[in-house]
Amino acid sequence: MNILNLQFLLEIVFGTIIFLHITKKNFGAALSYGLQSLAITIVIFSSFFETGSMPLLFIAIITFIVKVIIAPVFFIKLIQKHELTFSVSTYLNMPLTLIIIAILTFVAHSQKFVPLTGIVPANQALLSLAIASIFLSIFLVINRKGALSQIIGILSLENSIVAFTIFASLEQSPMLQLGIIFNIFIWLVIASVFISMIYKHFGSLDITTMNNLKD
Amino acid sequence: MEIIFIITTLIITALLNILIKRRFVIEFFSIIASSVALFESIVVALKVSTAGVYSPFVFFSVDSLGAIVMLIVACVGFITTIYSVPYLRQETAKGIIGFTRVKQYFALLNIFLAAMFLAITANSLVFAWISIEATTLSTAFLISFYDKPSAIEAAWKYLIINSIGLLLGFFGTLLYFTSMSSLGENGFVSWQSLLANTIHLDPLIAKIAFIFVLIGYGTKVGLVPMHTWKPDAYSKAPNPIGALLSGALLPVAFIVILRFKIITDMVVGSQFSQNLLIIFGILSIAVAALIMFNARNYKRLLAYSSIENAGVMALGFGFGGLAIFAATMHLIYHSLVKGVMFFSSGNLLLKYNSDKINNIKGALGVVPFTSILFIAGFLVVTGIPPFGIFQTKMQILSAGIQLHPVTTIITLFFMTLVFIGFLKHIVSMFFSQKPENIPVGEGNIWLIIPPLTLLVIIIILSFYTPPFLYRLINDAVAHY
Repeated sequence: MNILNLQFLLEIVFGTIIFLHITKKNFGAALSYGLQSLAITIVIFSSFFETGSMPLLFIAIITFIVKVIIAPVFFIKLIQKHELTFSVSTYLNMPLTLIIIAILTFVAHSQKFVPLTGIVPANQALLSLAIASIFLSIFLVINRKGALSQIIGILSLENSIVAFTIFASLEQSPMLQLGIIFNIFIWLVIASVFISMIYKHFGSLDITTMNNLKD
Repeated sequence: MEIIFIITTLIITALLNILIKRRFVIEFFSIIASSVALFESIVVALKVSTAGVYSPFVFFSVDSLGAIVMLIVACVGFITTIYSVPYLRQETAKGIIGFTRVKQYFALLNIFLAAMFLAITANSLVFAWISIEATTLSTAFLISFYDKPSAIEAAWKYLIINSIGLLLGFFGTLLYFTSMSSLGENGFVSWQSLLANTIHLDPLIAKIAFIFVLIGYGTKVGLVPMHTWKPDAYSKAPNPIGALLSGALLPVAFIVILRFKIITDMVVGSQFSQNLLIIFGILSIAVAALIMFNARNYKRLLAYSSIENAGVMALGFGFGGLAIFAATMHLIYHSLVKGVMFFSSGNLLLKYNSDKINNIKGALGVVPFTSILFIAGFLVVTGIPPFGIFQTKMQILSAGIQLHPVTTIITLFFMTLVFIGFLKHIVSMFFSQKPENIPVGEGNIWLIIPPLTLLVIIIILSFYTPPFLYRLINDAVAHY
């Protein structure tokens, strides 16, 4: 796949993270994560077409099943079960959130990160975008008050790291990649169970309602 | 073979615990599984002490420090399993938990132990990461075990903070692979192959990678400022699990940081990683000391004590030289003493039904054996002579005073503050007037034997180090 197409796919990943920051509806967030994962899956598929490696095809299929189908379905079922149409608000207001997004993106593209973005000089722009995605995903987890948004933020962080890995040519053996995906799947199941437990105990997914932990 | 046997036994036991419907059988199988793990760990440690690195398969490798941590996990794991039996029986008798919870507890306990053994023995960096992440997933349900809002909150905090931390650690891990990709060696990357290819690792990338790894796995260790999950998780988890989190999981995560330290040191020299460890170490000791002084919950007090001791270990490895030997011994003593303290605090919880320091009065008169164990644990953990931690703290400080006098004096000040703060709570809990409404007497002899056993081991190790353990420690010092 040529560099422009790869850049377009990474821009989808980056764009979905921006969308996750600004969206007010959980349904849109779940679909956005599915779209983001689809972009990652296509990148892995493209690696398969270039190398012809069958294990890579297998990884792409598993990624597609876990991240593009199962995870969003999990989220949508949770949203429907607990009637969580609207996501919980953010700590910072929207203008301030957008300013911080801009600053983080700028920092990721600055000279400070050249040692990382220069791992594969031909992919410098892509690696900068992947690092920006990592920063924005961490900021998403910190800034969102909703438990569901935090889960999606962490999964988004994982997707961003995977994108960085691919463009920096740091792929692991297929067996270990499978291990990572399995791990993510188990994490997803456990996090979803916790979402239900939080809703049962607190009647909401707003983590600011959790204030039982005091010395 | 021993490693596979340990992990398989623990996983099969976890699965059996889900299926079996008799409590006695669940408890029996769990004790057998943990005793098998202990026996096989001793076998592995003996092999490593005589023949060096033990690597029966390409996927597993145990070096000297790995063997020490394996012994710690096995020993604390075995005694925790034994203690868990009477502890959970008492909780069942009080109506706090039912049989389903007991099944869940022992299944998760065995998975937790298996994940820790995997993390120590994994020869692949990514496999080690997967195993450490697996410990997060198994312990999240153990922290939320009592299904109370505060427990759910603590577990959620633990899950989110550790997941972010470990993903950052994963990112750092992957950055080390740049040395392999330049050789076209993508795929299975072992610790040895990474060490052999450090010459291809860019120094700047090595520095950035180590920072990510230190932050990532440091979250699991509980180094300040990534420690915020620790007091909540420790205070909400069942007491035996607190012992495992502090006594076993902490050294497991610490050893991963140290393995990356070796690689980084080969690329950029030891100064960089040592300075970082000193910074995180002193921060951890200072923050823990200040908070411990005003703690109101004795389980949280133990959590802050763990943070302080993680700081002491980081400082020891940061100072280098003789301090590394002391830090390794400190790691062993701390794991054992945290077992003593969490088990005896579990006995206090069963007797007083409260984890608040203000609600524990006259404990020495109410539960004398438990009180003596807790007080002995306090004396050990704060570094009172003649116990081993006194020697390790002194050795670390004397190693530090030559190169980092200011840091060492600050550390000494905060260590003194820890002692004073801890002593204040000890006096309040144990030497005050006994309340009338609390019946006098220990609950069960089997609630005393496990912490007593650990205390005896600490006392023996304070004066005598078995030759095989001495060889392992010396070898670890030479490598780390």
